Amino acid sequence: MSTQRKQGIDLGLAIAGWGYLLLGFLFLMLPIVTLIAFSFEDARFPTFPWTGWTMRWYQELLSDGRLLQSLQRSLIVSPLAAAIATVIGFFAAYALNRFNFPGKNLLSTLFIVPILVPPLILGVAFLGLLSRLNLQGQVFSILLTHVVILMPTAIALISLRLAQMPKDIEEAAWNLGANEWQALYRVILPWAIPGIAGAWLLAFTFSFDEFIIAWFVSGFQPTLPVSIYTFLGANLSPSLNAIGTIVFGISVVLLTGVELLLLPLLLDGRSSSREM
Amino acid sequence: MTKQISIPGKRSRIRWLPQDNSLLKYICLAPAVIYDSIFFLLPLVFLVWIGFWSVENYRAVPGFSLANYSDIFSQFFVKSRYAYAIAQSLWVAITTTALGILLCYPFAMALMFLVPERLQRLLLVLAITPFWTSYILRLYAWQTILNNNGLLNTLLIQLKWVEQPVTIMFTQWGTRIGLLHYLAPIIILILYLVLRNTDRSLLGAARNLGATQWQTFWRVILPLSKPGIVYSAVFGLIISLGDVLSGIILGGGTGQSVLGKFPLFSTVILNEYAASTNLPRTSALATILIGIMMIILVSGLKLTESES
Repeated sequence: MSTQRKQGIDLGLAIAGWGYLLLGFLFLMLPIVTLIAFSFEDARFPTFPWTGWTMRWYQELLSDGRLLQSLQRSLIVSPLAAAIATVIGFFAAYALNRFNFPGKNLLSTLFIVPILVPPLILGVAFLGLLSRLNLQGQVFSILLTHVVILMPTAIALISLRLAQMPKDIEEAAWNLGANEWQALYRVILPWAIPGIAGAWLLAFTFSFDEFIIAWFVSGFQPTLPVSIYTFLGANLSPSLNAIGTIVFGISVVLLTGVELLLLPLLLDGRSSSREM
Repeated sequence: MTKQISIPGKRSRIRWLPQDNSLLKYICLAPAVIYDSIFFLLPLVFLVWIGFWSVENYRAVPGFSLANYSDIFSQFFVKSRYAYAIAQSLWVAITTTALGILLCYPFAMALMFLVPERLQRLLLVLAITPFWTSYILRLYAWQTILNNNGLLNTLLIQLKWVEQPVTIMFTQWGTRIGLLHYLAPIIILILYLVLRNTDRSLLGAARNLGATQWQTFWRVILPLSKPGIVYSAVFGLIISLGDVLSGIILGGGTGQSVLGKFPLFSTVILNEYAASTNLPRTSALATILIGIMMIILVSGLKLTESES
């Protein structure tokens, strides 16, 4: 197939296309490479050309502790928020996929809408409610609010996976004597695992990177992005590059998960759902 | 329910035909519905309501007063000049989104039609890598690159392409670059998925019927990928209008654009709250932003409706 579809593209266009891809990747990768490179650069104010090699920004990062503390906080809040969102999302996605009922469209809309509302608006809104409940300014308040913005993608991705499952598998389980719960636990859940894992990854990333809601509700217990924002305003320091490099390490682990779980879901879904 | 679990499947095969009104449906839907009601719908209702509260002795006092709104609208063109901030936000969001789609479309096309099948997946992962790394740190890195004595300017001056450093930081071009870097992976992924799902046989048919490359593109590929373009546009606009970080970190808060040196509306909301912690007034401003988004969404829907 690939030879067939390349026949029609002439050489000039192909060269231009490859050149464009190269330029595109340069743009996409440039900040990441810069971040890593400058975490080892000696000069305090990052300029060019490069002046020397150092590890002291990593030492500064370790001795200061503020950024690391908020990184820790983020590493508690984000996995937890992602887990809660995926669990709730799995059940909702299953119900939407399996049952028909009046108001289903309305409900699906309700489940998707939170991602269409800018986090800036949600941040102000959450603060309004949480400050009435005296729940603002805690790590817990970030957890509560992040679950809201993580659920839509979780529901969407898990639905995608469930929709790829042939309906007769569940029916076969019923006919073999499983009740609804057993079928859900023994048949649907194992099938949905890749979707659930992919959804968790995406949710984790959203939460880990989320700034504005956390800024509004976190108070004196900032997550990593909020902490970095404060750092940027106050004392520009290359330890930001150092923490960036560490965060990038986390991203690489995530990306491996994305390649193994999320992309198959998005790219190969069509072929496996053919029979439907 | 527990009774049925305890019955071994071998002994009695119950033919279970679950009905649509089974308990399971409610139990599965309940958590999401309850959660979204309490922590999504309720806060939004609260937001609109708090916009009518007032502040006395630095405390928000429940009530119904239009003072916040009348004050905001009286400053629409003077002092805080909210109208200019709204215009700046719309201008930056629209140009950034348009640019994003224009730049990412050829990228997705090249990825789909030039790159060998087995390499595509790897390059796609590379293309969406930025999305999985910290946005605020990427913006910080862009500062290092775009500064007057940053990577880009050093390079341009050494190549003797320019004599004076090009000022990008602290203009809305800085804002746009930061936003583009956030949007590009998403738009590339959306467009790539749409292109991938187009029926390959149609392209062959167009070529067999004598269409040139350009004709195939304009008449077949582009119309078929319209849903992807619409999704990208909606996402791009929503994200650009709601983003605060790029406008502050790269746009410098009040970045210059052809409209002038005005902040983005999102920056105004953030800064006003940071300076005053006046929640009622901030809520009123956020409610106005909701109104603007609704207008965009509805007119977007109308536009797609009238076309089809």
